[in-house]
Amino acid sequence: MSIKLGFKTSSIAITALLLSIGMTAKAGVVYDYIKNNNELMIATDANWAPFSYINDAGEMEGFDVDVGREIAKRMGVEARFITPAWDVITSGNWNMRWDVSVGSMTPTESRSEVLNFPAVYYYTPAAFAVHTDSTVTNLAGLNGKNICTTAASTWEMYLQGNLDMLNAPAFTYKVTPGTITSLVDGSACLDDTRLGAGVRNDGIIDSVPMIQNAIEAGYPIKFLGDNAFYEPLSVATDKGNNDAELDAEIARIIAEMQSDYTLSLLSMKWFKNADGSSNDYTIAY
Amino acid sequence: MPNEITNGNSVISLKGVNKWYGDFQALKDINLEIKAKEKIVICGPSGSGKSTLIRCLNRLEAHQEGQIHVTGIELHETMKDIDIVRQDIGMVFQGFNLFPHLTVLENCMAGPNWVRGIDEKEAKERAMSMLEQVKIPEQADKYPEQLSGGQQQRVAIARSLCMQPKVMLFDEPTSALDPEMVSEVLETMVELAKSGMTMICVTHEMGFAKQVADRIIFMDEGEIVEENTPEEFFNNPQNNRTKTFLDQILT
Amino acid sequence: MFVDTVVEDKALHKPAFLIGLSVTVLAIFFAFNFTNTIFGEFLSPVIGNPEESGLFGRFVVSFVLSVIFVLNLLAISFARLKIQILIVWFELFLLFLAFAYSFDLKLSFIQSRIGLMISKGLFTTIYISAVSIVIATAIAIVGAIAKLSNNGFAYAIASFYTSLFRGLPLLLQVYLIYKGLPQLGFMVDAIPSGIAALSLCYGAYMTEIFRAGIQSIPKGQWEASRALGFKSGLILRKIILPQSIPIIVPPTGNQFIAMLKDSSLVSVLGIWELMYLAKTLGQRDFRHMEMLLTAAMIYWGLTIILEMIQARIERKYQQKT
Repeated sequence: MSIKLGFKTSSIAITALLLSIGMTAKAGVVYDYIKNNNELMIATDANWAPFSYINDAGEMEGFDVDVGREIAKRMGVEARFITPAWDVITSGNWNMRWDVSVGSMTPTESRSEVLNFPAVYYYTPAAFAVHTDSTVTNLAGLNGKNICTTAASTWEMYLQGNLDMLNAPAFTYKVTPGTITSLVDGSACLDDTRLGAGVRNDGIIDSVPMIQNAIEAGYPIKFLGDNAFYEPLSVATDKGNNDAELDAEIARIIAEMQSDYTLSLLSMKWFKNADGSSNDYTIAY
Repeated sequence: MPNEITNGNSVISLKGVNKWYGDFQALKDINLEIKAKEKIVICGPSGSGKSTLIRCLNRLEAHQEGQIHVTGIELHETMKDIDIVRQDIGMVFQGFNLFPHLTVLENCMAGPNWVRGIDEKEAKERAMSMLEQVKIPEQADKYPEQLSGGQQQRVAIARSLCMQPKVMLFDEPTSALDPEMVSEVLETMVELAKSGMTMICVTHEMGFAKQVADRIIFMDEGEIVEENTPEEFFNNPQNNRTKTFLDQILT
Repeated sequence: MFVDTVVEDKALHKPAFLIGLSVTVLAIFFAFNFTNTIFGEFLSPVIGNPEESGLFGRFVVSFVLSVIFVLNLLAISFARLKIQILIVWFELFLLFLAFAYSFDLKLSFIQSRIGLMISKGLFTTIYISAVSIVIATAIAIVGAIAKLSNNGFAYAIASFYTSLFRGLPLLLQVYLIYKGLPQLGFMVDAIPSGIAALSLCYGAYMTEIFRAGIQSIPKGQWEASRALGFKSGLILRKIILPQSIPIIVPPTGNQFIAMLKDSSLVSVLGIWELMYLAKTLGQRDFRHMEMLLTAAMIYWGLTIILEMIQARIERKYQQKT
């Protein structure tokens, strides 16, 4: 059967129509755009308590979220959060869908090819953890074992032995894993560890506050050895736009937040130990 | 239209028409003139090309050689407005081909309303009067599948008549019917013939042929073998193939 | 299947089969060892401390379980067909609940989050799926017509499109559209990107469904319409498409149900649909299973509702033709 029809390019037309939905014409420098729109679009992760997560009311909350809000406030604009997957953020090419990332991102050589890092706003230690039943007693015991971590994270780079952090304190590779299990959803590693020592992994590497939280939530896990490394965590902007004015403004605001102790207070608000004491991760390592 | 009118008062005219399906030649050098109000019956064994011939007349099938003129317009591959020509030629199929998702009335209104642009009220009046003509006005609101085969075929005739065609083509209209339903369809066709319609019927109903045909055309292997009045055709067939065919069909 | 009027004896009522079944079930229960579960505790008067009951305890527990299991089957086999179906559904559902219960769920946590899951997550999921299925349907109609046309351009474009979008994983399409379109100058936000990916992917599958639906209409319908002087567009619109709808609706309904679940893939773009919230809401409190199981129940319930609606629509079309 054949149908004789005159239109040749209707499929193209439909596709084009479809794709133009929601198309927004952004133009000009990012910082001007933020000012004109009176809105700072901040990319962050929604699955990263206590740094950033969705609370019961369905709103973003956490240390990174508070820092992001404060930056927007000091710019004199509103803050708006969007939550794309972590690898979508770190791969750059944001195309002005959002203006900055305030998502505890560690500046690395490879990331700096697509992103700018105008200001480090705190440092967190990363550490290994194992199930409480684990027979491993020191970091050397994890050599050749199966370690779980978040895909496209600095911890993964550390496990791979190619962590190329910028402006970071010195560190050594203390563990050479046999297998690296990289999960897109990093918190899934903790759930896997909970199943037992050696069941799905032999140990994990993650940020200390994250592990701390899990222990407080009753996860049967424990820290192993000293902290593996300290990582500086930075605000990021899109290198594709290379807006020096925006970067300078962010650097200025972060410096200001450090000098008036705003950052320290936020850190102590969000990073508490089991004994009730607080951590100021913004200055020391 | 250079070839117009050269065919005198013929409604349909075929000159040297040849048609192939791949290597198989379905029509061989067909020449035929049909005048207004003529009733033609085409018969012949199966595979003789009679259905192909009639389907070429409204270009449901394409011919490859020769010329076919219908109401003065030549049918060919790149012609414009084939739909205009088809509006004037009714066709009744062996398998009825009613539109199953439309009621009987809607089937009859579809053509006038959608194609001829006649408003719904008038189209409905016309449809009802045609349904009366084929004697099933009471079935107007039913769906085709609720009717018997004979009733469906009469609806199909009414549907074509609603377009007020100049010519009616019948492609084996009774072949798919149960025997007891054949007569009701033939009666309808006889009455249509009496009303003066130009009719071309592919059929094996020789009683009908005797009763209404002005000419009977016998086809075999894609050729017109014999063409004659009913009396001559039945009583004095010229060709051996015709004789064989008549022997088979009349016993 | 079309049932015969002569019924064979029920297999369950044949002694040989019954014994064979019992032994198999016993072996399975014995292999899995339920001694250290609630069943062991329940039977502790007979076997003593389950932990120390050894092979004897293991055998007793699996024997009792097998007897219960087989008796249950036997009892059900005497019921009428409809009752049988109801009981089996109910029992399987209980097993599913027991599975969920084994995670030591905190119901109050679910209660505090379920409002958000439904008002935000479920709403977004349905919204994205509904818009996508409408656009996919439009694409499918155009695509099917193009694929059936004798226009070389239309056929080439349509077949390239269906080949490409059926050939790539949906997740990859989501990334390609979200990341790739801005390179071409189209700034598309997350939700339109997700909708575009879902529409294009399902549009490709549905193009084939629609093509088959259109092709299944007998050629006589085309001929009758042409003989009346209808033009192609009119034939499609008034004669062919209306008749192919009853053929197209059931597989399209299946596509919609599938899309509802595939829409979870757009969560990588940070769209707060059901799956995204299921993954994130439990994170702070480390209560992932609560949220995942809640999302599971919502998806499942939604699918059941859609299946019922689909059955109704199918029945409606069956009545008409």
